Amino acid sequence: MSVSLTRRRIRLLNRACWTIALCVVAIPFVFPFLWMVSSGFKSAAEIFGSPSLVPREWQWRNFIDVFNYQPFARQYFNSLYIAVTVTTLTLLVSSLAGYALARMRFAGAALIALFLMSALMVPEEVTIIPNFFMMRWAGLVDTHWPLILLPTFGPQGIMATFLMRQYFLALPKELEDAGKMDGLSRLGVWWRIALPMSRPALAAVAIITFLNSWNLFLEPLIFVSSLQKFTLPLALSNFTDPYGMPLWHLQLAATSLAVVPILIVYLIAQRQIIESFALSGVKG
Amino acid sequence: MKTTMKRVTTTVLALGMMSGPLAAAELRFTIWTGNEAHLKMLNGFAESFKAKHPDVTVKYETIPPGDYTQKLTFQLAGGNPPDAGWLMEDAAPTFASAGVLENLAPVLNKAEGYDFADFSKPALGLWTAGDKVYGVPFSTSPFVIFYNKDLFDKAGLEDPNALAAKGQWNMTKFQEVAKKLKDTSGKWGFEFKDGQGYDTRIMHALMPPIRAAGGDVWANKQCGFDKPEAVAAVKQLHDMVFKDKSIVPPGEQGDYFSGGSAMTINQISRASLMPKAGFKWGIAPLPTGAGGESPVIGQAGVVVFSAGKQKQLAAEFVAHVTNKENVAAAAQFFPPARKSVLESDAFIKSNNLIPPEQMKVVANAIAKGRVLPAHEKSPQILAAMKPRVDALWRANADVEASLKAICTAIQPLL
Amino acid sequence: MAKTLTMRDTTDREKASWLTLKMREAMEAWLFISPTLAGFLIFFVGPLIAVAWYSLTEWNLLTQQATFVGLDNYEDALFRNPDFWHVVRNSVIFAVGLVPLNMALALSLALPLSGRFPGVVIFRTVFFAPVVTSAVAWAIVWKFLLQGEAGFINQILAQIGIDGPNWLREPNWAMAAVIVTRVIKMVGLNMILYIAALQAIPRDYEAAARLEGASGWQIFRWITWPLLGPTTLVIMVITTIGSFKVFDHIYQMTGGGPENGTLVLAFYIYQQGFQFFDVGYASALAMIMFVIVMILTLFQLVLRRRDT
Repeated sequence: MSVSLTRRRIRLLNRACWTIALCVVAIPFVFPFLWMVSSGFKSAAEIFGSPSLVPREWQWRNFIDVFNYQPFARQYFNSLYIAVTVTTLTLLVSSLAGYALARMRFAGAALIALFLMSALMVPEEVTIIPNFFMMRWAGLVDTHWPLILLPTFGPQGIMATFLMRQYFLALPKELEDAGKMDGLSRLGVWWRIALPMSRPALAAVAIITFLNSWNLFLEPLIFVSSLQKFTLPLALSNFTDPYGMPLWHLQLAATSLAVVPILIVYLIAQRQIIESFALSGVKG
Repeated sequence: MKTTMKRVTTTVLALGMMSGPLAAAELRFTIWTGNEAHLKMLNGFAESFKAKHPDVTVKYETIPPGDYTQKLTFQLAGGNPPDAGWLMEDAAPTFASAGVLENLAPVLNKAEGYDFADFSKPALGLWTAGDKVYGVPFSTSPFVIFYNKDLFDKAGLEDPNALAAKGQWNMTKFQEVAKKLKDTSGKWGFEFKDGQGYDTRIMHALMPPIRAAGGDVWANKQCGFDKPEAVAAVKQLHDMVFKDKSIVPPGEQGDYFSGGSAMTINQISRASLMPKAGFKWGIAPLPTGAGGESPVIGQAGVVVFSAGKQKQLAAEFVAHVTNKENVAAAAQFFPPARKSVLESDAFIKSNNLIPPEQMKVVANAIAKGRVLPAHEKSPQILAAMKPRVDALWRANADVEASLKAICTAIQPLL
Repeated sequence: MAKTLTMRDTTDREKASWLTLKMREAMEAWLFISPTLAGFLIFFVGPLIAVAWYSLTEWNLLTQQATFVGLDNYEDALFRNPDFWHVVRNSVIFAVGLVPLNMALALSLALPLSGRFPGVVIFRTVFFAPVVTSAVAWAIVWKFLLQGEAGFINQILAQIGIDGPNWLREPNWAMAAVIVTRVIKMVGLNMILYIAALQAIPRDYEAAARLEGASGWQIFRWITWPLLGPTTLVIMVITTIGSFKVFDHIYQMTGGGPENGTLVLAFYIYQQGFQFFDVGYASALAMIMFVIVMILTLFQLVLRRRDT
């Protein structure tokens, strides 16, 4: 009796130690968010004046000025619609290719898979210059096309293809065979049977692709030059006065506006999101 | 009648340059200001341009100043060139030598009543090559000292203008005053231009004292940072930052415009920030040194891009924007390079924020000043300088060695 | 006789239809895969070949004039330009600092967090939150926190009597700061991968080992760690590749400074190509980066294979 009690106590103590240690480690993960939001409510002078997390005077105006300073709402919308487009396209394209690689037999399948896999190892910076020239040749510089095409078909898209392939491989074949018996075409089997069964993989691809597009920086930096067409990451580094002086309070208010909605969505769907990422790494 | 005819012909001519005879043309013009007063004035220029070209509208496109040259490059290299735009001085030689700027001389020489000779010669240095004109300076703005009169009064010090009147406003006095201000008020004595002296405004931090000491950052393809005058000047500056602790050091904030520093160096366009500042202030010339009075000027020009499709029309618009009347109108924000405007009484009184006697400081500096050095490889030069200047701005830096290192790095590029 | 004939007839027909079926399947497969393949060829293979070609030219982005110069750009990078080796050194330091730190922290977090206890979900959520945050936002915030004396970190340090360095102004501190903030940003991803792998390990192994009197460390060393092998490999490869392509983080936090102390390859390519307009040299750098990343990846794969 007493033995089990002390053992329990030790376990509790052990757990308490763990929890405290984790709390300490968590500080640099949580604190930047708190500081960002609190500074978004401060005046420029106060940001550097006091380390307190509670603003002396709540500058709600910052959050209005953000929209007056540049077409921030428009830029927000750009990021949103581009991310949604890229996600939809990627889902479609990668699940088709992934399905073919997993389920259909054709000469050269293995070679193609290997070939595609090489893209995963090459940083975007390597191919960005020729891609820039190609987009210029096509007249697509300073449009959103490069921001849609490059992620959909670049390494991110290939990554999604492999994710889908691995998932399809693990699915039982029987249902699909039954579908074929019932006279469904390949496309029909893919659409009506394979896709509905791969919701977790589709969700993973969707989440990863969306976040990747939402946070894209190098491509917008190079391809987009008019303010109206900026995406959020580009807009964030852009809060300066007409003489190039940074407007810190606006920048932090805007950063809060860009980050907080994503964080809220993340908190709501955190289980799903975390599982998606787990899926991506283990299978990809 | 004659003028009307002429107007009609020019319109027809201009229209002929465009896609179709009846199509209304739109000029895309890049700028880096989003300031409402500036935009209002610029839109006024576009409106008056309609007198000659009724079908032409001008669309101003604001690109943030931090990324301006970079974004402009992407537009030009990306096959999406604006028709015309502002250009910063450090980009002028690079762009001109790359052949992306249109020669404006034919249009300017033909423009009625334009009088190109009215522009002061030194002010055109960056923008002309032989008889080719790659741009017209619209802002020729000298660097001046902005000071916080309240902090000077509190410290019981004479302000820079008073000292200048007595001929005592020199670099030694400057160092002394800055230290006293810091010691008495606890505020910084001096802040580099926009607080960016260690980052994007390296040149604006180092150049004025070096020139005051009689040196230069480079001249005739020879690096000047390691010359004795420059070394002495930078040593003094370094002492002010790290020994006196009177200059805002790297990584700190001491915004002059919100009262964080007693003095700063900047151009008169920043006077627009002063009404909100809430303290008494003034502008004064740069402190002198062994090299005597040596004002430093920053410039920006208007250019037409060769890749544009409406070059003729764009050039005419540039001629319109920089004619006598419009230069005079712009003088309240952007000090002119036209002698006729500069010497006019109107200019001295043009700025309702700055009293005439202080505007004389500005006019005097424009007349005597020299522009910042520019070079066709300036992006590379600045990038090569940056790491070495970083090394210079450390408390224990060997100033002379750091300046030597700067020269070693940039000499091959010069 | 008639019967055999029909039988023969049907097998023939079956054979024929089987052939066409196979062909049909192959054709359909190619159709399914064609968008991905076309995109891959256009946006990846083509550009890769183009970069190889550009790297042999002197090409100004602004003037758009190109001349063939052979291996000049490579010679420039490898033998003439001292910046290049400095940049490679920085990239290597960045990777060598980031990868082990990231993986060690990820595993140390994953071990407690793969279990079940109250609050475990909250912790996972917290450690993962920076992953979903944009790198630009993250870098902006940390840039503020790491300012000189007025920076938050140093204000806190000052209260406990430590005079913090001017983090982003001194090359070595800046590199350390960039690495650590990047690890905090990305470690959640690897942590989750480890948690998933840990949870996939059957409980019986551990229970059996415990019965035999193995200590916690022994269990980890001889059971858990070997079983995590494949995951560790995946994590190592993606983290290494990721460390070479870091751009936004550096661009925002230090811009490659101070004293070029954080100038890494990805940023250097951007600078040469798009700020100095030197497309040829930038392309040569891109090719070198390509080769470095390929060698590193293959090296890790081989190393791993020999291990197991």
